[in-house]
Amino acid sequence: MCWQLSKQLTALFWLTTCVCVFSCQASAQSSPSNEELQITNNPVGHRGGRLVVSLRSEPKTLNPVTSADISSREVLAEMTGDLIHINRFSQNVEPALAKSWKVSRDGLEYTLRLRHGLRFSDGHPLDADDVLFSFQLYLDDKVNSPQRDLLIVGGKPITIRRLDSNTVVFHLAQPYAAAERLFDSVAILPRHLLEQAYKDGKLAQTWGLSTAPDKIAGLGAFRLKEYVAGQHLTLERNPYYWKADREKQRLPYLDEITFLFVPNADAEVIRFQAGDTDVVNRLSAEDYSLLKSDEAAHAFHVYDVGASLEYNFLFFNLNSALPGNSAISQKQAWFRQVKFRQAISLAIDRASMVRLIYRGLATPLWTPVTPASSFWMDTAIPHPARSVVQAKKLLQDAGFSWSQTGDLTDSDRSTVKFTILTSASSRQRIQMATMIQQDLKELGISADVVPLEFRSVVDRIFRTHDYEAAILGLGGGDVDPNSQMNVWLSSGNDHVWDIGENHPATSWEAEIDQLMEKQLSTLKPQARKQLYDRVQQIIADNLPVISLVSPNILVAARNRLANFEPAALDPHTLWNAQELFLSGMGASGQP
Amino acid sequence: MRFLVHRLLHSIFLLVGISLLSFAFLELAPGNFFDEMRLNPQISHDTLVHLEKQYGLDHSFAERYLAWVRSAVKGDWGVSFAYGSPVAPLIWTRARNTLLLTGLAMLLSWMIALPVGLLGAAERGRWLDNFFSLGTSLLLVTPDLLLALGLLWLALRTHWFPAGGMQSLSSSSAHADKLKDVAFHLMAPVAILVLGGLPVLVRHIRAAAIDALQQPCIRAARSHGISRVRILFRHGLPLAAAPLVSLFGFSLASLLSASLLVEVVMSWPGLGPLLLEAILARDVYLVIGAVMLAALFLAGGMLITDCLLFAADPRIRTEKLA
Amino acid sequence: MKISIQARMLGVMLLGLHLIVFFAGFFAPYETSLQNRDLPFAPPAHIHFLDIQGKIHPRPLVCVLVERSDAFAEYFEDRGHCFPVRFLVRGAPYKLFGLMRSNVHLFGVDAPATIFLMGTDAYGRDVFSRFLYGGQISLFAGLIATVLTLVLGALLGTLAGYYGGWLDAGIMRGAELFLALPWLYFLIAVRAFLPLSLSPKDAFVMLIAVIGFVGWARPARLIRAVVLSSREHHYVLAARLFGASDMYLMRRHILPDTYSILLTQAVLLIPQYVLAEVTLSFLGLGAGEPTPSWGSMLSTLQQYSVLVSYWWMLIPGLVLVPVFFGYVLLASELQSGRKTAAS
Repeated sequence: MCWQLSKQLTALFWLTTCVCVFSCQASAQSSPSNEELQITNNPVGHRGGRLVVSLRSEPKTLNPVTSADISSREVLAEMTGDLIHINRFSQNVEPALAKSWKVSRDGLEYTLRLRHGLRFSDGHPLDADDVLFSFQLYLDDKVNSPQRDLLIVGGKPITIRRLDSNTVVFHLAQPYAAAERLFDSVAILPRHLLEQAYKDGKLAQTWGLSTAPDKIAGLGAFRLKEYVAGQHLTLERNPYYWKADREKQRLPYLDEITFLFVPNADAEVIRFQAGDTDVVNRLSAEDYSLLKSDEAAHAFHVYDVGASLEYNFLFFNLNSALPGNSAISQKQAWFRQVKFRQAISLAIDRASMVRLIYRGLATPLWTPVTPASSFWMDTAIPHPARSVVQAKKLLQDAGFSWSQTGDLTDSDRSTVKFTILTSASSRQRIQMATMIQQDLKELGISADVVPLEFRSVVDRIFRTHDYEAAILGLGGGDVDPNSQMNVWLSSGNDHVWDIGENHPATSWEAEIDQLMEKQLSTLKPQARKQLYDRVQQIIADNLPVISLVSPNILVAARNRLANFEPAALDPHTLWNAQELFLSGMGASGQP
Repeated sequence: MRFLVHRLLHSIFLLVGISLLSFAFLELAPGNFFDEMRLNPQISHDTLVHLEKQYGLDHSFAERYLAWVRSAVKGDWGVSFAYGSPVAPLIWTRARNTLLLTGLAMLLSWMIALPVGLLGAAERGRWLDNFFSLGTSLLLVTPDLLLALGLLWLALRTHWFPAGGMQSLSSSSAHADKLKDVAFHLMAPVAILVLGGLPVLVRHIRAAAIDALQQPCIRAARSHGISRVRILFRHGLPLAAAPLVSLFGFSLASLLSASLLVEVVMSWPGLGPLLLEAILARDVYLVIGAVMLAALFLAGGMLITDCLLFAADPRIRTEKLA
Repeated sequence: MKISIQARMLGVMLLGLHLIVFFAGFFAPYETSLQNRDLPFAPPAHIHFLDIQGKIHPRPLVCVLVERSDAFAEYFEDRGHCFPVRFLVRGAPYKLFGLMRSNVHLFGVDAPATIFLMGTDAYGRDVFSRFLYGGQISLFAGLIATVLTLVLGALLGTLAGYYGGWLDAGIMRGAELFLALPWLYFLIAVRAFLPLSLSPKDAFVMLIAVIGFVGWARPARLIRAVVLSSREHHYVLAARLFGASDMYLMRRHILPDTYSILLTQAVLLIPQYVLAEVTLSFLGLGAGEPTPSWGSMLSTLQQYSVLVSYWWMLIPGLVLVPVFFGYVLLASELQSGRKTAAS
């Protein structure tokens, strides 16, 4: 029952967090060594013990500048620190390495003050030059960091200068609403360890997995201890970490975190059941119910964290640039009709998808913004119930009719028929396609499900445009609308239904472009929300993407893990790893 | 000697052919490693183009192949896109674990399959043979993965063996303890591989032994009153050699590839997890590195087969050398 | 060639099974793509001979299944709503041989009751009907592909073993090349050139072509090994001295020696090829939803949660065991039948 108590307590503390951040800072400044520790609000725990977490695939590198895969980023999140951090639970920004910041009146300059007495995990002190060096690496176009594009605002890289050893100033080319969120997950790097490699042009090869632990240092709660190829990666406590709990006990509590490589979802569940791991970061709905029935007998708990940021959607090929001599352009005559898309959307049985594919652990969607971003989701968008009758009426209005055998035909008497492309590696999306196929049968439309291997799907959607309709899932990342810019801007490279347009194809796409650009430079959150609500309204009216469902985040953890507070944002479980402790450890775990 | 030199030359040609065709196949398949980043709205098109350039994906087929040959000669076998490091050490550290697993499994399956197959042949049509046949049919329709899940489920219920992995995290550093720990973890995956491989071996051994037992010399031996077991092992086995030697060659050749899926389910730190990820991710050089290593085993296995075939049958050898 | 009684009986049994699969439309009570969304993962139907009052019914009864409101896919039977199983009923239309239209099914039950002999899958589709229809693709594709593989393998293996020299070296290095290449990528590439949607018929042909084309190397090598030693038999050498032609020798003396290897390979390859369909489906070369296939049915089993929670999903797999056991026995009978005939 321990977790329940701690959960309530933590919930209480979260309510007061925002108020407390600054007052807590004041008390930290008085620490004797002139070290400005950040004081956290979690229930006080005790030190000791090891946490074992399963990772679906091995991390590929420990280099924060070049890493792109999820596993590496998950490990690096525990090993590195950023200047300003997005709290994964509250989804708001909070001070991290920068204890405070000021914004200039025009919104172009951000002056960040670093904490005093910060040290890397090898004991080397940090100063403003390390920050300058880090951003130089991320922005260098020869390094090709996947993070680089985030740091380009208004078409220009942000610039940075040093005021003194503790203060840096960032300059933006234009006002940027989510500027503070840019700093999240941009790891600050040790100049003393990386400068030589950078000068030699070998940055991409440094900090690979075989690097000796003493050659890697970061500002995270943990530092590298050991990597065994194919088996596990173990982190140990960073003794110089810059956070402490209310009793001035330096965090983290855990001695070690071990990432165990378990490359298969079923094996992940089995090894959790066997007691080999303590946390499962993401469960399928089936595995969730499986573990749920086992919960009482074993000392673990499964959590339904609620909606994720992932939105699955059906969309039609509206590209004007098509592969040569294809029949797709004829079918586009249907796809381009708003009423046709509306009819399809009306015929889809989202409730059954939620029930059969996700056992009810998902949310039906009528807009691509999920309830996980509660602030940004436009709740005014209607949720029309499934109605085959209305769908048929819409089709009739659009000039479609039905043949003797019940097949839908267009005004030229050709039968309406299309294929739904989806990735063979996502069981859920194949299931969605199969259910849509059955739903559309009631409209007299025969749709073929075409599952292909993932990269073939990507190639068809993004490069050759050789498909008719497709189901994709996007999401993850951040709640802020800025993270979706490339999806909604008609020039964006993730504008999936019509990629690489030079100018918007329709008037409503032009309006979306305008609104998205405008919200980017609008600084007041409420004003931004109004703009983004309008975008969602336009999407719901015109349905370039037909939103389907958003799965819930489902995780599992052992009961002895205290302060466990899973969140909708990545990494769902270990975002507060420094505050986690093992409650069963007793006195032996304490120093 | 001349035969060996010939065969080695052939093998070198074979390897070159395999590498060229593998490159061609990978070239033909749509998509590349960096496609996954296309789905990330926070990475721009320019960055992707730059990354493709950085890893030489914009070069021509011939240029890339030659660069790979140079790197292979150096011992790197190309650079993995995902890991950003040379392929050879990535593969080698894991291939050792795979070989430990498959080597043991191969040894055991032959040790079990030989007596079972021969017994089946000797008891042909009787209940023991039918029992074995039913067993092999059952194993034939059971996918390895299903077998693996079944065993894992058993592991959960009984705790007779661990539910995956190669070593316990908390194993002591003493050598004997480590060995015991690994042996404990080997049980389940080896069992799956043995069960999965048995039907093929048993059916072939049985068929070959039946053929051999029909030969006039065996019937003669039997009429001389030599015991059945003695006939089976002393006379029957050598006569059945030709197809069995080939089968043994296939066992050798598949040492690297037999366990890939099982490794993934059992979290065995072998080539399986690394390769399956690389295959789906189009990590070209990693895949080709593994294909080449497997081809090396294949060429070796086939060479050994041919040598054994000629050794078993003197008539073939004399003709070949003539 | 004399065929034993046992072999005949086995043959009849297997033939019957194939006929059932062939006439799946008649034996299957439901349409394969029909989703009963309120009945996912329903257990196999309970057949009752007693009604709720304890009265005996000569005609078996099936009761309406109701999903519990508090749990997913847990059901209870509404014993008050039972319906008799009817035979030769009219139901969903189907085509026999792809030609004759009909809507008569062997058995069925009136709505709202349902008769799912093997339960339902995640969409609430009848597993029994899907199993029968699935055999149409899997079983026949498996059989034909096996024959194709073995014919290719026997041809090339015999040529290589018989003539030796450069032909042997060429064919065998070719076989090794085939065994070593990463075919997956070739298939992905091939898929890119095919039309977006493959009809079940196209998929059927693809399946046979791909498997037959890629699979010949192994049997070829095995057969070559037998041919190598069998062409050195004294009777072969003697026949050659008498001026027998190569064709005659291969047909009369060499090929018969490969008989048992061919039979063994056939027995082993058929189930392998049925399972191979899963991999091809992953590449978009299989039949694809909603067309059922045995491969895809077995692959849903390879999901831990399904395996543990719904035991009846194992039934299709278990039904396949006697089918393949039948093949194994048949092969064994054929082999011994030939031997007794020879002696």
